[in-house]
Amino acid sequence: MSNDFAQFQDAFFEEAAEHLAVVEEGLLQLEQHPNDWDLLNKIFRSAHSIKGTAGMFGFSAVAQFTHKMETLLDLLRNGQKAGSPAVTDLLLKSTDCLKTLIESAKTGSGIDEETVQRLTADLAGASTSAAQPAAARGLGGSAGAAQPGCEDRTYAITWTPPDWLFQRGLDPLQIMKELNDLGSLAKVTLNTSRLPDLSDLDPERCYLSWEIQLATGKDHKVIESVFEFVREDSVLKIEEGEALSVKREALESGNEIRFTNDERRAESGEPKPLGEILVETGVVSRETVDHALAQQKRVGQILVEQKAVTPEQLEQALQKQRQQETAVQARKSDATSIRVDTDKIDKLINLVGELVITQSMLSDLGSRFEIQQLPVLLERMAQLERNTREIQERVMGIRMLPIGTAFNRFPRLVRDLSAKAGKKIQLVLSGEETELDKTVIESINDPLTHLVRNSADHGLELPEERLDNNKPEVGTIRLNACHEGGSICITVEDDGRGLNREKIIAKAVKQGLIAEHEKLSDDQIWALIFKPGFSTAEKVTDISGRGVGMDVVKRNIESLGGTISIKTATGQGTTFTLKLPLTLAIIEGMTVRVGKETYIVPLLSILESIQPKLGSVKTVAGRGELINVRGSYLPVIRLYEVFALQPEHTEPTKGILLILETEGERVAIMVDEILGQQQVVIKSMEQNFRKVEGIAGATILGNGTVGLILDVRGLLEIAQREEAVAV
Amino acid sequence: MPVSARETSVGECNQPAGLTTDGNQYLTFNLGEEFYGVDILRVREIKGYSTVTKIPHTPPHIKGVLNLRGTIVPIVELRTKFGMPTVEYTAFTVIILVVVRDKVIGLVVDSVSDVLNIDKKDIQPPPQFGSKVNVSFMSGIGKSGEKLVTLLNMEHLLVDGDMAENSVAMGEA
Repeated sequence: MSNDFAQFQDAFFEEAAEHLAVVEEGLLQLEQHPNDWDLLNKIFRSAHSIKGTAGMFGFSAVAQFTHKMETLLDLLRNGQKAGSPAVTDLLLKSTDCLKTLIESAKTGSGIDEETVQRLTADLAGASTSAAQPAAARGLGGSAGAAQPGCEDRTYAITWTPPDWLFQRGLDPLQIMKELNDLGSLAKVTLNTSRLPDLSDLDPERCYLSWEIQLATGKDHKVIESVFEFVREDSVLKIEEGEALSVKREALESGNEIRFTNDERRAESGEPKPLGEILVETGVVSRETVDHALAQQKRVGQILVEQKAVTPEQLEQALQKQRQQETAVQARKSDATSIRVDTDKIDKLINLVGELVITQSMLSDLGSRFEIQQLPVLLERMAQLERNTREIQERVMGIRMLPIGTAFNRFPRLVRDLSAKAGKKIQLVLSGEETELDKTVIESINDPLTHLVRNSADHGLELPEERLDNNKPEVGTIRLNACHEGGSICITVEDDGRGLNREKIIAKAVKQGLIAEHEKLSDDQIWALIFKPGFSTAEKVTDISGRGVGMDVVKRNIESLGGTISIKTATGQGTTFTLKLPLTLAIIEGMTVRVGKETYIVPLLSILESIQPKLGSVKTVAGRGELINVRGSYLPVIRLYEVFALQPEHTEPTKGILLILETEGERVAIMVDEILGQQQVVIKSMEQNFRKVEGIAGATILGNGTVGLILDVRGLLEIAQREEAVAV
Repeated sequence: MPVSARETSVGECNQPAGLTTDGNQYLTFNLGEEFYGVDILRVREIKGYSTVTKIPHTPPHIKGVLNLRGTIVPIVELRTKFGMPTVEYTAFTVIILVVVRDKVIGLVVDSVSDVLNIDKKDIQPPPQFGSKVNVSFMSGIGKSGEKLVTLLNMEHLLVDGDMAENSVAMGEA
């Protein structure tokens, strides 16, 4: 049962995340179109869904908080309150807070009670100030979670749930819990008078009804909302005041049920605290335990008292702890499931159907095959091939998600950045529908965020400076995605000041990356900003205080098998172009042969392949070989030497040199022959074996044997090591 | 295009019903005149020999890797591993696929022989040969009728040395 429940909970978290995204996106749009009624409705609906489902799952903190947001949204929707930047700001902040609340419901992590309380109060304040401008601020301010002191009203609730209550999987206990969260349940009486004899009892029907006495500061409406999901067909009476006590006594058949702390804990399967157990087993009295608990202190407090740490140090340590907690949560909350369009699945099922038909036709043919039927056989084989290829494409397609899911967070980011930096920025997104492998999307989030921050922080100028340079006051950042051959191309473009050539050169010389009067092409200069350590210096490219440089961006992109390039013009802006493979499971590869062995080289790392002229390969110290390619000398690695193989050719002029690039280093690798280009499915070597140096993975070749995929970086390392040994 | 059976499967080693699981059933195979046995519960399947792909930077007894229905499986030649002379592969040469610590590994052997029940009392601890023969990969010597079966300890035989990356550099040196 608890497992089933957990499964539904996962669905809830996933859904809540989606609704939250809708709310956030909607709020941002609302800023531009404050009177868009449809938009408000959309936001309201999403918030309402979160509230409803959260309540159902017993995440009352989430439900209550959302309820507050909803109240404010409702006022906006009804026109009782006018939208303003302050309101939007409050709602956005509340969305963030709601996010952490949901996160805490999921991972059981702690939450910043103070922020929740403050925002709850603000929301309530904003709502009530519209409805009753003068009066209710005080009340709103304290209307957070159940607080002692505001249980100033008593309600008598009589609830006869509908017959179908259990059939629809609803649990009255949840409702009791929710009521208890609103205030304190003074008394709950279960009325079993309608229960039939056991022989007549239909276990799926609900024959029970409840009389509930509730002390709370909330009003009628709030209590009613608890019953929202069972309202239909319920008989519900909520009365305020004293009259109830008389009524309660009049009720004759009273199987009383009281909730105590213990029972509730047992219900939810939580372990009891040590003290409770000690009291229960009669080892100590409750007073002793309470006394002991009162003396209990937190570690930090004790340390401060012993003067081992100063309060400031303690505060720092606590902050660190909180940060670590957040980091852990972030890791935990990585979604592992994937939502697939039913359409995609339907098509897949159709294709599988076709495959089955083709297969049965083939086996029918095979059972009584005569040689004159050969053309028929060939035709059916071709059909089978077609089916298989299509299924392969579709199955890969399931992992594909529109890149919009990664883009969606940027409007908010840019809004916050522009406010912080005092710049006016508009963000233009395009190509959001471009589909990309889910894992790739997840891993480009960070690099993209960095690039966007970079553009906003350093690329774009302040409004005055822009006006001085005859540019529109509002700076533009464009994010675009599109397909280009077998890869995807993402550009981050700004119309800011562009990269400063002189500044970069000066910095690079100072850091010893280049010589003083070295002649460099523009591309080579721009590439300098990707050097590790470069960005940590002055504010040429780095986001101050972030501690993440462009080198990390580049490394991330390259670890995905992608490339990054820069185009910039002084005073006109900078464009970063990322090229990424569509998926990580399949790469485009070049098959090459050395002796009898076949290897695959990732196509993305190949710059060109040449057959060197006689004498163009020079040696250094009689051993290290270099080749002159368009003016620069590259080291030559003979693959047969590194892998100890029997080659066909040992003379570079007879073989082929592949010029490969990895992490900015170029190298020529000598093979016997290039066989062709094909897509290869990457298979893990580590699953049954282990990592092999110089080999990135394996794949199954057309003839069923295993082909090894070369790891260019690893090859380079092996070669450099051997060189070192030789010298 | 008639499909020829390129890989002649010698026999699938499905667990027969009622197989005792107390670990005293062994699949035995030959290397030359000698008999060896592996715990039958470790055996995934037996297949005919087919070409493997050599892997660079590995010790000589790692023949290479093989495509087993889409997964990559390393192949160990037991003769080389034991320092015995290599022989030509014949129609009887088979690959026994065993599972060691969740990894599937193939062993090239001359031929498979029998599934034997060997009682615990018929198993002696491995003898001591001093430095002449490494006995760490044996779990014991089993008697079955006239046959002497060397029982192999797969964990020691395969995982400790070959699967760790650093051992390879030593193999190369």
